[in-house]
Amino acid sequence: MITYPRWLENTADAPRLRLIGIGNAGVHIADRITRHTSFQLETFALNSDKQSLNSSSAGTRIALGPMTTHGLGAGGDSETGLEAAKESLKDILTAIDGADILMICAGLGGGTGGPTAALVAKLGKERGALPVAIITSPFRFEGRRRAAQAAEALTELKKHSDVIVHFENDRMADFSEPGQDAQKTFAACDELLAGAITTLACVAKGGGPLPVSLPDLISILRHSGDGCLFGSGSGEGDNRADLALEEALRSPLLDNGRLLKNGSEVLVNISGPSNIGFVEVAKIMQGVSSHTSDRTNLHLTLSVATNSDRLTVSLIGRTGIGELQHLPVRETAPAPQPALEEHKPNPKPPTQKIHQEDLPLEPIAKGRFVNSEPTIFEGEDLDIPTFIRRKLLN
Amino acid sequence: MARDKLHVGLEIGTTKVCAVVAESRPNGELRLLGVGESPSRGVRKGEIVDFTNASKCVHDALADAEDRSDREIDKVWLGITGSHIKGFNHRNSAILPAEAEITDAEIEEVECKEQDLGIPKENHMLHSIIQRYYVDGQAGVIDPRGMLGSRLEADFHIIHGIANRIQNAIRCVKEFEIEVADVVVNSVASAQVVLNDHQKRAGALVVDIGGGTTDFLIYQDGAIRHSGVIAIGGDHITNDLCIGLRIPIARAEKLKIEEGSTEIDTIKANDRITLKNDTGFSGKEVDRRTLNLIIHARLHELLTILRKHVQEVVPEHLLGAGILLTGGCSQTKGIRELAESVFQGTPVNLAHAQSVSGPASAFENPQLSTCIGLTRYAQIVHSQLQQTSLFDSFFKQLGSKLKIV
Repeated sequence: MITYPRWLENTADAPRLRLIGIGNAGVHIADRITRHTSFQLETFALNSDKQSLNSSSAGTRIALGPMTTHGLGAGGDSETGLEAAKESLKDILTAIDGADILMICAGLGGGTGGPTAALVAKLGKERGALPVAIITSPFRFEGRRRAAQAAEALTELKKHSDVIVHFENDRMADFSEPGQDAQKTFAACDELLAGAITTLACVAKGGGPLPVSLPDLISILRHSGDGCLFGSGSGEGDNRADLALEEALRSPLLDNGRLLKNGSEVLVNISGPSNIGFVEVAKIMQGVSSHTSDRTNLHLTLSVATNSDRLTVSLIGRTGIGELQHLPVRETAPAPQPALEEHKPNPKPPTQKIHQEDLPLEPIAKGRFVNSEPTIFEGEDLDIPTFIRRKLLN
Repeated sequence: MARDKLHVGLEIGTTKVCAVVAESRPNGELRLLGVGESPSRGVRKGEIVDFTNASKCVHDALADAEDRSDREIDKVWLGITGSHIKGFNHRNSAILPAEAEITDAEIEEVECKEQDLGIPKENHMLHSIIQRYYVDGQAGVIDPRGMLGSRLEADFHIIHGIANRIQNAIRCVKEFEIEVADVVVNSVASAQVVLNDHQKRAGALVVDIGGGTTDFLIYQDGAIRHSGVIAIGGDHITNDLCIGLRIPIARAEKLKIEEGSTEIDTIKANDRITLKNDTGFSGKEVDRRTLNLIIHARLHELLTILRKHVQEVVPEHLLGAGILLTGGCSQTKGIRELAESVFQGTPVNLAHAQSVSGPASAFENPQLSTCIGLTRYAQIVHSQLQQTSLFDSFFKQLGSKLKIV
């Protein structure tokens, strides 16, 4: 059952969001989000591994179980992890107190993340906050022990957290090209996750011409523990709505929109400049509904961001129709995926991926190839005559 | 087989759709019976962009081929290209039970499975071509059958492309209730007729510069080492001329074929070509030097890009048999010299289909290399099938895995 969080009784104030990254994976994701988000977010990093904590850019860093683990991490053992968390209970409470929504992000399967996340969710709920767990399950190749620990941690989390957004690493790595390095795949997974959390935070903060109410959001995401649907994309120019939707559907967690058929609740968040047209909104919703089934409950939110002229579409949903096990998960080692954006000093929000700008040349320059798929080599558009690019005539 | 076997190759090209009908004689000879052609519409850079028009052209070309060869076509081998076609090398290995003899079962185990390659989900594997085997790390094993070993490894060259685009080309043919025996990447097909066994072993680069794309393939030690597609071709030259000289596309195409050359240095200033007037075109004088400069710039750039692709994999000096240029664009005057200046020190030759019989005008035309190559590919696949007739039922799978040497 869901208990209504404290702040709903006093709706005058905007909810206080807090992002808590737990364990190596959680801290990593939290860091990434802090670097990317455009709005204020209180971030906490909780870890038993001192080294990871020290490199974190979170607002507050809390070392778990300095006596239990001596700052060396839980070594992948969930019992050590839980002990460490219990030792630092007082510190954990400082992270929870005063928050209205706790966004707990952790990677399950390791020693620290899983058990501590469950504990934080439990404590948070007891203190009237709404725990939102954003978790990843380990890659299949990481072995059975981690998978078992992850499953255990997930059951525990479900008891205490109403909203669980669950990402399966196996699915996320499922978009790849041969011969790319593993590091980029991991980075891309983190990127996707950071995008999802940022979107959730944006939606939860409300505002805009068509906000979604918190209870609605909770009901959309409640019990999405079995797998989460997420995709995000952005576009600009005349057909920005199409571009954004297409990119969003291309997300590996949606499988080109095919997985939307299994969604019981899908939230569509459209954000962009104030000149978003009604036609564009209608087009996007039409596009989404063509992929969903009759039983899918669609929700629309609209928010306006003045600092960008890009239109961003994000889809979040939970599966309910059909079993996720039947979905095509390829049993492959993750072969890597093009890096989206990594460690940029001044990054944009993660939903705004690098966009190839067209050179401002007159349209005649491409002649008959003006509408065909461009041939790009080392950043040059080869459809433009060589003599123009090399300035050979006159 | 006593009966002569008929093979039909079909290429849906950017400038023309062409179908070659050839028969395989019992003595292994491949004889061309007829060539059907139709100017292509609805194809850009080797990929179908206008399905209705493209399938009309396919129909015309097939009908033309039936007329000329006096045979009925029921099955074709389809050539495919486009920038989405990618090739890469992949090593697979299988651990065998201690000291087991290697049989067909073990060899099958080491074969590439599409899902293990990490190619994108929307892509489909077109070829996995064996390069060499290793038994317990011993390199250069050509046929491991019957050998003892505990570890069997194999290098493959994998070529894959976007499944939907490949399907579109197949559907274009199936419209007329003609079966597609298999889809073959253009460069693989061309190489089968342009190169002989000696050249394949010595190492050679085959470059098929067509209308919309440039397909290349490297043979080394008798196996395919690398392949790729660059989405630039003769169409780009025509387009450049159209823009640079301000003449209509049709005139630019004609001018390119009749007068085009890559020579610049020997051209005198004020050497002008007069274009006659035509409906909707009032005639024009163009400067020959400008014309050649535009063509030179485009081809020089194309060959430079090609060289970068090749150098990533094989140093040029290892191409013992040098570079062979084929395809319609290889008829451009001066392209051989230009290629030699780009690939310094590597011999460059113009090539057309070899070791086939029939009307010389057909097999000596470099535009038809791919299409004739498709029939040769079909012949090779069939001859290997006869040797292993037991596997006839696996025909479909075998088609793409056969050892093309």
